[in-house]
Amino acid sequence: MMFRAVVFVGLCISIGVVWIIESGAADVFLEATRPDFQKIPLGIAGIDNVGGSESPEGRAKLGTRIEEVLKADVRRSLVFALVDLPSLGIKVSQLGAEPDPSFNQAAENGVSVIVWGKAGIKNGNKEADLSMDGYVYDVGSHEVVGGKRYVGSTSVARLMSHRFADELVFRYTGEPGIARTKIAYVSELGTARELFVMDYDGYEPRQLTADGFLNLMPRWSPDRRFLVFTTYRNRNTQDIDMIELATGKRWTLVAQGGLNITPVLSPDGNSLAYSSSHEGNAELYRLDTHTKAVQRLTTHAAGDLSPSWSPSGRELAFTSDRSGGPQIFLMSADGSNVRRLTFDGDYNAAPAWSPRGNWIAYVCRTPRKEYKLCVITPDGQKHLQLTTGLGVDDSPSWSPDGRHLVFSSTVEGKSQIYMINADGKDLERITFTGTHNSAPSWSPAS
Amino acid sequence: MRKLPAGYLPLILGVLVLGIPACSKKAVRSGGDIQASQDAMAKGGAAKDGANSSFPDTSFSGRDDANSLRGLDRNPSEERLGGNTGNAGSPGGAGHGNAVIAKADSGSAARQLAEIRAEQVASVAAGLRDVFFSYDSFSITDDGRHALAGDAEWARSNPNAQLKIEGHCDERGTSAYNLVLGEKRAKAVRNYLVELGVGPTHLSVVSYGKERPFCTEHAESCYSQNRRGHLVVKTGK
Repeated sequence: MMFRAVVFVGLCISIGVVWIIESGAADVFLEATRPDFQKIPLGIAGIDNVGGSESPEGRAKLGTRIEEVLKADVRRSLVFALVDLPSLGIKVSQLGAEPDPSFNQAAENGVSVIVWGKAGIKNGNKEADLSMDGYVYDVGSHEVVGGKRYVGSTSVARLMSHRFADELVFRYTGEPGIARTKIAYVSELGTARELFVMDYDGYEPRQLTADGFLNLMPRWSPDRRFLVFTTYRNRNTQDIDMIELATGKRWTLVAQGGLNITPVLSPDGNSLAYSSSHEGNAELYRLDTHTKAVQRLTTHAAGDLSPSWSPSGRELAFTSDRSGGPQIFLMSADGSNVRRLTFDGDYNAAPAWSPRGNWIAYVCRTPRKEYKLCVITPDGQKHLQLTTGLGVDDSPSWSPDGRHLVFSSTVEGKSQIYMINADGKDLERITFTGTHNSAPSWSPAS
Repeated sequence: MRKLPAGYLPLILGVLVLGIPACSKKAVRSGGDIQASQDAMAKGGAAKDGANSSFPDTSFSGRDDANSLRGLDRNPSEERLGGNTGNAGSPGGAGHGNAVIAKADSGSAARQLAEIRAEQVASVAAGLRDVFFSYDSFSITDDGRHALAGDAEWARSNPNAQLKIEGHCDERGTSAYNLVLGEKRAKAVRNYLVELGVGPTHLSVVSYGKERPFCTEHAESCYSQNRRGHLVVKTGK
């Protein structure tokens, strides 16, 4: 049976809203989005440096680097509470394949899991194989429950940490974790805006397009192989293109003339919803990716845009200014049953339906004319503002585990990309270079 | 980007956005299918209905086994994480490796810049004036009507010219909704020019939303510059 709970949680945002969460979670696994979920106390004893003939300094850097990435991943998982072992008086003497005797003290200190590992480079050659071993010790059962052994070039050191972190999340929740996910986004190069993809933590940015003009609002395919986005062909027309990440190969999906924007593939990948003005003003359409048939979903003199699929693919949230300023509306995926969702304020736009289905994030304009992130339940019963401060927040996109949002903000001046927990805590900036980074889209998990 | 004094930026942006398409050369793309789709469009093929006749299957058939987690193991076997092979089917492939590489056409950006500069020269010569809008608004003001009266006169006396009307917005609001607002502004300008006797076939509209700002300061003096209907002479197709 499903367990359902209604719990009140006070939020640490300035307006002091009381937030009601309703959670329907399978009880097979620990449900880390449930408000009564207790994070699992986890200590990282260290990543030791072994083997190879690289200078001791270089090896130390490698182990420290991997450990730092792992700690950040564990912290962002929101499944574990990262415990500082030295501050508990736990002095680790050796990091071999066997648990250190000091781990026995951990039980008294409430630590549930201890993780450690070793890393080294063969032959002291930077390009040669890097290997990383990771071990997981369960304090309750006093045993090593398992480990991982990764090999690869030094360029995948961060990936080893990410993969190990995701294995930890998987071991304790049955979910795949988010440490290996990616974020697609738009970055300014000169006066052009091109597509990039980076790791979820902002590292390893890769440029995907180099058209020299505008490419906007990328969205992932559910299998993570493609991005769909708006491109300005020859500066004068907007088309919807798809690019394959592994090859850079491109296809045009929609080229109808007029505005063709905000494309997004359905969770099953069989439909592309988008906004087009080729029949007059911006309306929503649905392209069947198999038959290529196009179905018009909205018919209204006002602008309809920014469709976002519910996780089941049965409904769409979208922006429409049919009631004056832009507001969030919902409808069935065939265009029927349109109803308005947001009523507070005169500007609500850019909806993003959580992969867990329980929230829709969007951009809300405050009475002080700042554009901030808000979330609302699909029944419209509960809503709250997640971010505060100056500037324009835009393009919220959920992590596949539904615990985080990524978005762009001009809160510090230039548009940069930030991450925030779904409850408004732990705001973290993840892009630091360039004149403009925007339109983030968080990839599905693997 | 080369370092330039900050004061030059609005000027340079203005110069870049003004202009005439010097030629109808298509931007070269990374994939050959683009050209094919454009040809199909020109022939009125499937693209006329908005859909390319062929693109890869995007349906999601479930988890990608090669990339999925394998679980902790008491005696873990070695997992090799991919480097730069670009193979989406292997761990470390497109899903989470370092395989994502743009097949960038470095010539495209330079061509775009050259075309934009050529457009700018021709548009300045025509002496066209832009239209400015209020916050959240796409109504043409009295100043706007005055500017467009001159623009319409130029258009009527240059009956072979094609005008492109770009709709622009300030940085406030969402990127997506500003594209819709920018189109409303561009269409308001077009409709007024038509009222003044300019043939609709001589006019085209495009919205750049807030993606091609004339000015990048966070101040109303700058925002008012960016809320604009910008007129460009097209000389290409």
